[in-house]
Amino acid sequence: MKITLMRTKWLTGALATLALALLSTSAQAVPSFARQTGMACEACHTVWPELTHFGRVFKANGYILDNLKQVRGVSQRKDELLSLATLPPLSMMVQISDTQLAKPLPDTQNGSVAFPQQISLFYAGKIAPHGGAFIQLTYAHDSGGIQIDNADIRFADILTTETGHSLVYGVSLNNNPTVQDLFNSTPAFGFPYAGSSAAPGIPFGAQIDGALGQNVAGLTGYVYLNESLYAEAGFYRSAQQRSLPLDSSAAGVLSGLAPYWRLAYEHSWDRHNLSAGVYGATFKLFPGNGSALTGPTDTYKDVAEDLQYQFTADNHLFSLQATRISENASLDATYQDGVGSSNLKNKLTTTRAFATYYYKRRFGGTAGVFQTTGTGDAILHTPAGLEPDPTASPDTTGWIAELNYLPWMNTKFSLQYTAFSKYNGRTNDIQYDGTGRSASDNNSLYLVAWFAF
Amino acid sequence: MKTIIRSLLACACLSTALAAYGEDPAPEALALAKRVAITTCGTCHGVQGVSAQPKFPNLAGQSENYLAAQLKAFRSQTRGDADALAYMWGMAAPLDDDTIQALSALYASKPGAAGSRVTDPALVARGQSLYLEGKLDQGVPACAACHGPDGHGIADFPRLAGQHAQYLLKQLDSFQTNMRNVAVMHGVASGLKGSDAEAVAAYLESLP
Repeated sequence: MKITLMRTKWLTGALATLALALLSTSAQAVPSFARQTGMACEACHTVWPELTHFGRVFKANGYILDNLKQVRGVSQRKDELLSLATLPPLSMMVQISDTQLAKPLPDTQNGSVAFPQQISLFYAGKIAPHGGAFIQLTYAHDSGGIQIDNADIRFADILTTETGHSLVYGVSLNNNPTVQDLFNSTPAFGFPYAGSSAAPGIPFGAQIDGALGQNVAGLTGYVYLNESLYAEAGFYRSAQQRSLPLDSSAAGVLSGLAPYWRLAYEHSWDRHNLSAGVYGATFKLFPGNGSALTGPTDTYKDVAEDLQYQFTADNHLFSLQATRISENASLDATYQDGVGSSNLKNKLTTTRAFATYYYKRRFGGTAGVFQTTGTGDAILHTPAGLEPDPTASPDTTGWIAELNYLPWMNTKFSLQYTAFSKYNGRTNDIQYDGTGRSASDNNSLYLVAWFAF
Repeated sequence: MKTIIRSLLACACLSTALAAYGEDPAPEALALAKRVAITTCGTCHGVQGVSAQPKFPNLAGQSENYLAAQLKAFRSQTRGDADALAYMWGMAAPLDDDTIQALSALYASKPGAAGSRVTDPALVARGQSLYLEGKLDQGVPACAACHGPDGHGIADFPRLAGQHAQYLLKQLDSFQTNMRNVAVMHGVASGLKGSDAEAVAAYLESLP
């Protein structure tokens, strides 16, 4: 699971942070693809889950490149009607972790061991002549249950010319905005790739930044021209787990369809690859939580830029990912003349940048910074149960440093340190209750053993 | 001297064996190969067989029989250098003989890579001397004897002109360690090390 960026009112101090982690998304690479293609991890990944250019092309083409014996069906006109591996490309992922906080959360024990933090089963590979699926089912210790995780089912085909131009086009049916994206500079598959579920996450984030993951269904169409220009557009609709049809007990329900868009350009030369892009979405949400799913909605307009650079040689690998997400919120449903929120309109900006180096894909590390700033809203940003504080704000700033060791390509040991210089708008008394917890008390050391097989 | 004669004899045998390949591919196979070349091979080797990344070799202008032999060696998992294992064993596994032949013919018909710009003339000059004359005191025959004075290959011996230096150096290393098990080249690579290897690779990369 990754550090979470969720928009929510505070429930209680510790509960909220744990809930945030629980609802977070996760990012994996899967040996299913290696099984299917017969290629080692390094073909598609610098070090997993970061994709190489080849990995992006493989994904855009619908995960269909295969090397397994197929059960085939054809029509009288030799149209392919079925292409299914005789053995399904399945794989497992296990994370076992330990988290040490600088200062334990109130009434909790420090040194949280999660065994497992997460176990996932994947089907990842070809499902049809031009279709593939990445479907993840996860047991997470903090939820204590098995639930759907990231899912991306896609169909794609390619047009080529004699002169070597190519146009990949396809559709993706997925459950998390940006999980279908090709680049690791967008939220779903962005750094940190693993994060503690026992440490406080980032308390406020934009909707597109993981808030809706696994609770929406999206249908998007995309094109990938000459393996350089990537454009995508589509819609998302609420598809929350455990409640159908949705009613007023649900929270954060989309009204109608939420448009999503993406444009990126990548250029490869020598050992380098550089990409830059923009992405965004507009979400109109009914607050729910007891309010009927009709009438005014809260509108969140998210617009983001992202950048990625990769240097890939045999011995030395370097990459850089950065994104900035700007959100304009118009809280027409929540505001209620200052009862539900202090402001009718709020802004939120999240910026992240991380640099990664690996030696021989075996020893490496990542370091970078994250920052969220935005309009202070006394009601939304003061922890629940406390008098709204006019100084409350979503501002949160910090850095992450991580060391990694991969004894084998599919096994990763990581030691990650996360430090906060500001949390929920404050350096000190971040719980707004006078108990004196400081931002740095939320600093955490996280050790994770990550097995994918 | 014996080493050189053995090497050249082995070259001749290899040449004869490879010459068994080389029939014109069927139009259907060629059409499939054109599609595979762009949609699959092209991702690493470039859509026209000239790769943007030096880790992956240029294929354009390469000897047809050499390419076919390599693809079959990947398919049968008898070429065992690290990148062959990681990439090509999987990629070549589903290719049938007709597709291999058509792919090889397709790449052989394309114009080879233009030579790179020379950044170190002294290094390239030394490389040229080693390539054309060898280093007989260390048992390194002239590369040009098999690969041609212009580096375009002779008969079934591969084209080296315009090839990425990084790729060439890695192959020399693989020959030396027998990760890529070719007796002729094992002998050559064992005598061609360090700055000598770098010089030859730089020279070849600069050749059009």
